[in-house]
Amino acid sequence: MLSILSEGFVLGLSTGFYCLTSCLPVLVPYLLSEGGKAWKINFSIFLEFLSGRFIAYFLFAVVSVLIGRTYNPYLPDWAAPLAMALTALAMLSSLIFCRSAAAGGVCAPPVSPFFKRIPLALGFMTGINVCPPFVAAFVRLAGMADMTAGLFYFTGFFTATSIFLLPAIAPTPFLNERLKVIGRMTLAIAGVWYLLLGITGLIGL
Amino acid sequence: MTDRTKFQPALAFSLAVLLPVLFFSRRIAGAELNPIYPVLWTLFTALTAFFIIYTGRVSFYRRIFFSGLAVSFLVHFKLSLLSKVFASSCFKDTPYCHIAIAPSFFNYLYQQYLALMSGDWRLWGPLTLAFLWLFFTLVIGRAWCSWACFYGGIDDGLSALPKKALVRSGFPAGWFRDFPAALLIFLLLVSLAYMLPVYCLWLCPLKMTSAFLDSGDAFVRKIQLALMLFALAVLFIGPLLTKKRTFCSFLCPFGAWQAFWGRINPFRVIVDNEKCAACAACLDSCPMYAIKAGREGKPEIAAYCNLCGECLPSCRRGGLRFSVFGIKIRDARTGFGRLLDPESFFVFCALVTAGTFGALFAPAALKDIADLLRRIL
Repeated sequence: MLSILSEGFVLGLSTGFYCLTSCLPVLVPYLLSEGGKAWKINFSIFLEFLSGRFIAYFLFAVVSVLIGRTYNPYLPDWAAPLAMALTALAMLSSLIFCRSAAAGGVCAPPVSPFFKRIPLALGFMTGINVCPPFVAAFVRLAGMADMTAGLFYFTGFFTATSIFLLPAIAPTPFLNERLKVIGRMTLAIAGVWYLLLGITGLIGL
Repeated sequence: MTDRTKFQPALAFSLAVLLPVLFFSRRIAGAELNPIYPVLWTLFTALTAFFIIYTGRVSFYRRIFFSGLAVSFLVHFKLSLLSKVFASSCFKDTPYCHIAIAPSFFNYLYQQYLALMSGDWRLWGPLTLAFLWLFFTLVIGRAWCSWACFYGGIDDGLSALPKKALVRSGFPAGWFRDFPAALLIFLLLVSLAYMLPVYCLWLCPLKMTSAFLDSGDAFVRKIQLALMLFALAVLFIGPLLTKKRTFCSFLCPFGAWQAFWGRINPFRVIVDNEKCAACAACLDSCPMYAIKAGREGKPEIAAYCNLCGECLPSCRRGGLRFSVFGIKIRDARTGFGRLLDPESFFVFCALVTAGTFGALFAPAALKDIADLLRRIL
């Protein structure tokens, strides 16, 4: 199993740049908007985001293995654009309902308990968007068709790709009120952008 | 009667500007064009230098030069859309747009990384572009936006046309003034994510006149078109309504980029608090919403100031001036001593840079106009 874990890790290391490009436009505006000067706050947001991704990756691991066993098409076509639209809604709702976590505010849009953890939801929904490294991992797992191996493989993959996201928290200690306002505006622009892409994807089905 | 204490320094100054601009213009445009056109462009730049020093009116003559530069860009690269009569006679490809540098910066870094890995790094453009940008930033910094940018020239020229603002727009001077910074962060990330110049595809008003780069579906193209029309309105109609540079202030990511990196450039506009009467005239005069009221109503100049000099004459007490690193230097107002003050030094750097950059298209535009006149007459 160690070799499977390291295989996933190496794939993640070699292709993690793509994860960076798909996750940073979501994570950075949120961190700028809701982070604080204290590392603790920023790191908890970061970890929550990673947890969301982790759940999504595990889901993928399970689905990939099942496909390997049954040859059924895996995620339906509408899943990725819908996830994109939901990501956008989560970003926009966080703008509407959140006051800064650093100021002691609560980030809880009255939608569902799941959405009370915005970074978790954002991480999950960016996690289920298929990117090229994912396809590579999927093909490997479908070939193996082994549930335990699949979970180990994606754990390694997740750990390696998460390293690429670490620079996102680097600028947060310099956050001030002005930068947070800029972060909120960025979050709004990114929210509208993903909503647009999500709707376009759903219309085009 | 000519004032010799002003005339002679102004003449010397214009000669100092003329020589480097002539050299670079001949080098850039001389190969394809009759030498008369780069010479004409150089004379225009040198005349601007002369009148700035002779009259002391920096922004007035800067604006004429700056608008001329922008119009020449439009003439040479964009008017051909209206009729074949305006088809550009040479230099068919537009020069690389500086605005794209900012939102696509991560993409360039990535491309350069790939180039380094391939072992052929010298064949790649991004590094050259980075050196050019760094050089211009060190020479004029934020002043690029008020002296050399062809977008800025359109916005600035149009903002000077109405006598009074039809729409009072003081409110964006607050938090909304940082919108370009938010736009820049978003574009940096999303351009990297899609490996596309997202700003050029979705928002650039002048891109509308060229082909779409991507083959997106019809719905996406309609949205792109709508956004570009919006940006076009902000560029052309916004300044006419507000007497402010609306595109540069709210939609230009390069403005935010240069506001950040421009700190490494030594030139500043500073306020002399002893002379300031807190009348707020400079706040209204700034076309970039870059001055806000600070303590006791006295002006604070933000990083968005791009040294257009428009605020200088608005202060009747002479409380605003150009400076090097914010240091107060007693400057001579007459004679050759004036050529050594920060203002002259700054104007020299700005005009030589803008004159050289303008040589990429302004002499060609002069040739287009001459060809057109010949055809008509």
